[in-house]
Amino acid sequence: MKKYDVMVIGSGFAGMAAALFAARRGLSVVQAGATGGIDFSTGFIDLLAVHPIAEQKVWEDPFAALAALRRDLPAHPFCRVSDGEIRLALEEFTSFLGEHGLCYRGREGKNTLTLTAAGTMKPTYLLPCTAWSGVEAWEAKAPALLVDFYGLKGLSARQIAEVRGDWPGLRTARVRFPGMGGELYPEHMAWSMADPARREELSKTVAPLAADVQYIGFPAILGMTDTGAVLSHMQELLGKKVFEIPTLPPSIAGPRLRAAFDRGLPPLGVRTCTQKLITRAVCSDEGFQFTAGSGSTSVELFAHSAILASGRFFGKGLKADRHSIREAVFDLPVTQPENRSLWHRPGFFDPRGHEVNQAGIETDNLLRPLDADGQPFHPRLRAAGAILAHQDWMRMKCGAGLAIATAYKAVISL
Amino acid sequence: MTTLATRVLIIGAGATGAGLLRDLALRGVQALLIEQRDVNSGASGGNHGLLHSGARYVASDREAAMECRAEGDILRRLAPQCIDDAGGLFVAVRGDDERYVSDFPGLCAKSGVPCRALELGTARAMEPALSQDIIAAFAVQDGAVDPFMLSLDNIAQGLSLGGGMRRNLAAVSMDVRHGRVGRVECRDMTTGENVTIEPELVINASGAWAGLIAALAGAQIGILYSMGSLVITQDRIATRVINRLRPPSDADILVPGGTVSILGTTSIRVPSPDGCRPSVAETDRIIDDARAMLPILERTRYIRAYAGVRPLVSLGPAGDDRAVSRGFALIDHAADGVDNFLTITGGKLTTYRLMAEKAADLACAKLGVSAPCRTRTEPLPPSSLGRWTEPGRGPKSWVESRAEDDIVLCECEMVSRGVIDAILDEAKDMRGRSMLKAIGMRSRVGKGPCQGGFCGPRITGHLYDREISTGTQGLAELKTFTERRWRGFSPILWGVPLMQADLQEALHCGAMDLEFGPPPSTTDEESEKCQATGELP
Amino acid sequence: MDFFSIGLALACLSAVCGTILRVRKWFTRGKAMAGSTHHGPRSLRWAAGLADLILLRRTRGGLRRRGHALLILGFLPLLFLHAMDGVVTRPLFAAYEPTLDPWQFLRNLFGLVSLAGLALLLWNRTARLRPLSAAQDWALLAVVGGILVSGFFLESLKIMSEADFTRMADDYFPEAESGELLALKAYWAAENGARFSVFLPTAPEMLEQGAELHEDRCAGCHSPTSSAFVSRSMAALPLSPAMADRGRAAFWYLHVGLAFLGLSLLPWGKFLHPLSTGANLLVRGGSRNSQAQNPPPARGLGLDACTRCGQCSLHCSVAPIHTVMGNADILPMDKLSDLRRHLDARLSPVETGILAEGSHICTECLRCTEFCSAGIDLQDLWMTSKQMLSKAGRAGVDGEIRKSTAGEWAREFASGRLGAIGGTGAGLADQAESFWGCVQCTTCTGVCPVVAVSEDPSRDLDLTPQQIMNLLRMGLKSQTLGARMVWSCATCYKCQEHCPQDVPVADILYELRQLGAEVLREKEGRS
Repeated sequence: MKKYDVMVIGSGFAGMAAALFAARRGLSVVQAGATGGIDFSTGFIDLLAVHPIAEQKVWEDPFAALAALRRDLPAHPFCRVSDGEIRLALEEFTSFLGEHGLCYRGREGKNTLTLTAAGTMKPTYLLPCTAWSGVEAWEAKAPALLVDFYGLKGLSARQIAEVRGDWPGLRTARVRFPGMGGELYPEHMAWSMADPARREELSKTVAPLAADVQYIGFPAILGMTDTGAVLSHMQELLGKKVFEIPTLPPSIAGPRLRAAFDRGLPPLGVRTCTQKLITRAVCSDEGFQFTAGSGSTSVELFAHSAILASGRFFGKGLKADRHSIREAVFDLPVTQPENRSLWHRPGFFDPRGHEVNQAGIETDNLLRPLDADGQPFHPRLRAAGAILAHQDWMRMKCGAGLAIATAYKAVISL
Repeated sequence: MTTLATRVLIIGAGATGAGLLRDLALRGVQALLIEQRDVNSGASGGNHGLLHSGARYVASDREAAMECRAEGDILRRLAPQCIDDAGGLFVAVRGDDERYVSDFPGLCAKSGVPCRALELGTARAMEPALSQDIIAAFAVQDGAVDPFMLSLDNIAQGLSLGGGMRRNLAAVSMDVRHGRVGRVECRDMTTGENVTIEPELVINASGAWAGLIAALAGAQIGILYSMGSLVITQDRIATRVINRLRPPSDADILVPGGTVSILGTTSIRVPSPDGCRPSVAETDRIIDDARAMLPILERTRYIRAYAGVRPLVSLGPAGDDRAVSRGFALIDHAADGVDNFLTITGGKLTTYRLMAEKAADLACAKLGVSAPCRTRTEPLPPSSLGRWTEPGRGPKSWVESRAEDDIVLCECEMVSRGVIDAILDEAKDMRGRSMLKAIGMRSRVGKGPCQGGFCGPRITGHLYDREISTGTQGLAELKTFTERRWRGFSPILWGVPLMQADLQEALHCGAMDLEFGPPPSTTDEESEKCQATGELP
Repeated sequence: MDFFSIGLALACLSAVCGTILRVRKWFTRGKAMAGSTHHGPRSLRWAAGLADLILLRRTRGGLRRRGHALLILGFLPLLFLHAMDGVVTRPLFAAYEPTLDPWQFLRNLFGLVSLAGLALLLWNRTARLRPLSAAQDWALLAVVGGILVSGFFLESLKIMSEADFTRMADDYFPEAESGELLALKAYWAAENGARFSVFLPTAPEMLEQGAELHEDRCAGCHSPTSSAFVSRSMAALPLSPAMADRGRAAFWYLHVGLAFLGLSLLPWGKFLHPLSTGANLLVRGGSRNSQAQNPPPARGLGLDACTRCGQCSLHCSVAPIHTVMGNADILPMDKLSDLRRHLDARLSPVETGILAEGSHICTECLRCTEFCSAGIDLQDLWMTSKQMLSKAGRAGVDGEIRKSTAGEWAREFASGRLGAIGGTGAGLADQAESFWGCVQCTTCTGVCPVVAVSEDPSRDLDLTPQQIMNLLRMGLKSQTLGARMVWSCATCYKCQEHCPQDVPVADILYELRQLGAEVLREKEGRS
């Protein structure tokens, strides 16, 4: 049985980041995980935008927000990482993505408001470059055309235009996507955009409608693996600035990220057990023995250290029955409300968020999960990402950033 | 400011009100049905959907048992499109009251309720989901009824025969002079417009709100509110209705509802008919209890929970002698000094037709109309109003007869854009209120596993595309829709539904930041006035 | 007119007319299959074809090759030099007499060689090919074997025959005195195995006299019968002279009769294979691949050239499916003969359905074509017949399903006309648990390559994978069975691999397809 330095449990943002950071630091890495939350990613990398969530206070400066958060919520995982570590982690992560065709940008020390499929403006820290012109267009309230497609359920340009009453220069148009009819799926559309002929056809359809605008916005279908090239070609063909808006699920932001990691991690020596969950974990002083998958295709692995980045309920890191929440791999104690009637609030959109979203694993400053006595469960086990307790990534707008930063911290503290 | 004249004013479009509109129309009496929200907004929209064989009441209430049996037969005959005549079983498990079990067949016979004892092996072969620990089983003639289709079909026939109906019209005051209600002042909840109605006779069929409405005319009815919660499973667990064979209590019944099963119920005293919602505690109690007869209930996937408020009439001064049966109450408020006002409330869904008949008999007597009731014999024609609520109708029509460029907007239940457009065109008078909710009521949208998490945003986009939503109104409606579905979703969030809710919040809040922005578009039903005060004996 | 002339005339008539009819069929059947393929000029590599034929290069298997080699080596000379000695040997060799050496010896030798070859072929068929064998296979072996064996018997009985001797003596030694005749008889009895009913002297001077007389009168046409080594050893059989005489007559009729039978049956079934297979090998010109543009007569010839050796069926890639389904037309040998019958419009509708199914299960892997001893271009026949069957409305389950819309199938399946769906209800598609985990993420549809290559998934596939899962969750199985997504699924398993909730999407689609195929088969009466 092969022995590895690090086992990364989970293939979402935190898992991918941990595998990347560990491999880059010369550790032998094996990673197990299944399709999960990352397929529902918007593609944006949030750092921190709302605190306190009950007051729905939105911050322009994420680092100022971090300072306030660390002061107010000493148990929050962001207290375990420094600003410097956060910056380094994000830098390393996005440069990796850039090497693999997904360029990201943002403004140093500032959150940026960007358009969503609902027409709302969402604060985030780093965005795909393919969305950037949309930011510029909105900030300038420049004349722009939003294009959507017959049969694409995930984006209504008219909805965005109606909701954005503050952007009168916004026009909409619905066109046929060349070569596809009936129900359209973003993944298929994005793959087909790899063909220059398809891009030319699309431009021919759209160009006459865009005579008097400076920007054209599309649903996020501009390519899968070479979005930059597709975008520049479209800009060239249309003679306007072009941007993308993430669609409702199934959107391709997740598959794009997944594809970049599938391509980029193996060359770094990461062994990936895709579509396998950890079904058994045995801990000892030497390390951890894991069984990944089950049945005839299961794999036995041994690792000196392990990083638990298995996500929450959808990611299968946490399992809930009617009475309690358990952690799926090591059965670590899970901080949680007393009973299920306290998990959720009566109002779905209650600004305070739902208590169950703050349930999770307790760790020490080195991100080592704690056992029932408050001691580190194992000296070389780390936890990262959404499985950590005392954070509500959906309301604080800190999902990807927290995952990447805690993964970084977990790796460098090994 | 509008004034409407009508012969009969029926307040409340639940099953009884709908049945009254039809019954009176068949007697040639013109009536106007008004409803403060939408059809079946009260107990008629929050019940088990059970067509009682009557066997449940053979020990506790023989009259109700016989009534249920007779009415069930009539409905099966005259409104088969609303009925799933699946049959039912009564099963007892180890530990249940064995004397009740042995008394049961005799009590059924005395009430004229057909009941047949079964071998345990036979019962388990009929329903493989039954526990290995059952100690007795009887077959009865229970069935399932679609209350929405039932009400809508009644209303449709009533309208076709000259009746009228207005939704979103709430009665706010009544002008009583010389012992008669002369005017009823109403407000249109959509537009805020004031509407005055001048009826010859008023029938209060507002169910749980009967006390409040009666009070407008100065009459007192003592009504207690009993909330009952139910949970819905993703699959149809049993072909038949499965009842617990013991003295009636909570968590006794599993009723099939097309492709799902409905499990319940509870009985909790609440202070108001408004704003009640099922709770985590009730859901757990129901499952903990019912799993004894159907163990799969512990493991299966649930879709949502819901609650309805039953009005229980406490027999006050005006009600004593007029009660036709202890099941429902028909009150002639002449005893309260208002000659042309009567109230019909209480009862069960199964006996709605009888309630409407009795109320219509009294009304016609007061109006001097001698035409007899025809609803005992006249079949209820199926209408197009209710057709998209039928489970499986949407997907079947998608496969068999869709238009070429149609797309599916609600994936769970396969409701297509074409169907939604048809509903929107029919429900034109709902403009201004949440169209999403109207669509939800008239179809299976939002009733599947995703509970509107995915289809809500998609249909919102479509409403914008059709220029029905403008500005931020569509987002407000989406939030209302989501909050409404949340009431039923939040009690069952463990296992897979919790993952589903996780995804929903990741989409609505994590991705679209909808927790900011405009508040939900309506303020009714969201009040948290309703708090459980305890359980009824 | 005697038995011989009449028999020969009839046999020749049958052979010639029958062969003409069969050759004609090469053209008609070939044309019936033609379709719209374009036939360009072809160069025939005769040399390679000839080498295939003579060296039996394509005949696989030691038993078969050796058996054929021996049989051909033995039988051809017998055919030309013995059976047709009147038109071949006698004109070429003036001094020919069948009872002279080397002919007598050669006849026995070639007869023995043929018999040895036949024995090997018989062993091959009984040991290896019994399940694949039909009446014509055994008949050919029986007729040829019968001819050979009866020939030996005939010769040995002739050797023994007193009546023959008497006839010969009357014809060629009429003036013989009784003493001389006796001496000759004695000689013949001692040296040549003749059987006489009279007592024969054995005194040396009698034998000497007999030998002299023999030299004088007989030896010109009779070599010693010992050179007929097989028949001569059989002449030791303990038969009375009367029986020998009767036997000799009987076996003459038997031997000649069987020969005529064989000749007249030449155009029937496998009996023509020496001609048709030989011709096919020549025409094939040594090629091992499929030409795919064979002119119609070549196709017709190929259809006829089957030797029923069974090699194609034994090596067929989809033979395991035959084991499961029991449809004999899955295997090439039976499929070929049923294809012939189909081209002659002799198959019932149910049989045509069986042929169509066998035709469509073929994966066109080329193995049968490579292994065919007769060099038949099977691949070309299969591919052309598939098109032909499809056009004739027998498109196999996959094609049949596509002829009606999903909605029409939904009504048919739901109506009960096609029988109950899904016998035990225990399939993945029937179990509610299969769908408990679905969260409507549509990943299965997003990763599906079949949906991706379709320009309009709802139009081309009726339902996408996640829509099929939803319908099944709602218990609406009959709506899914006719959806073309089920029938176009490539079983690449991406959907199942990527599903975050472990819904067995691909397994379920596969199960639906199996179920649909089973129901359609029942509908055709072929369950």
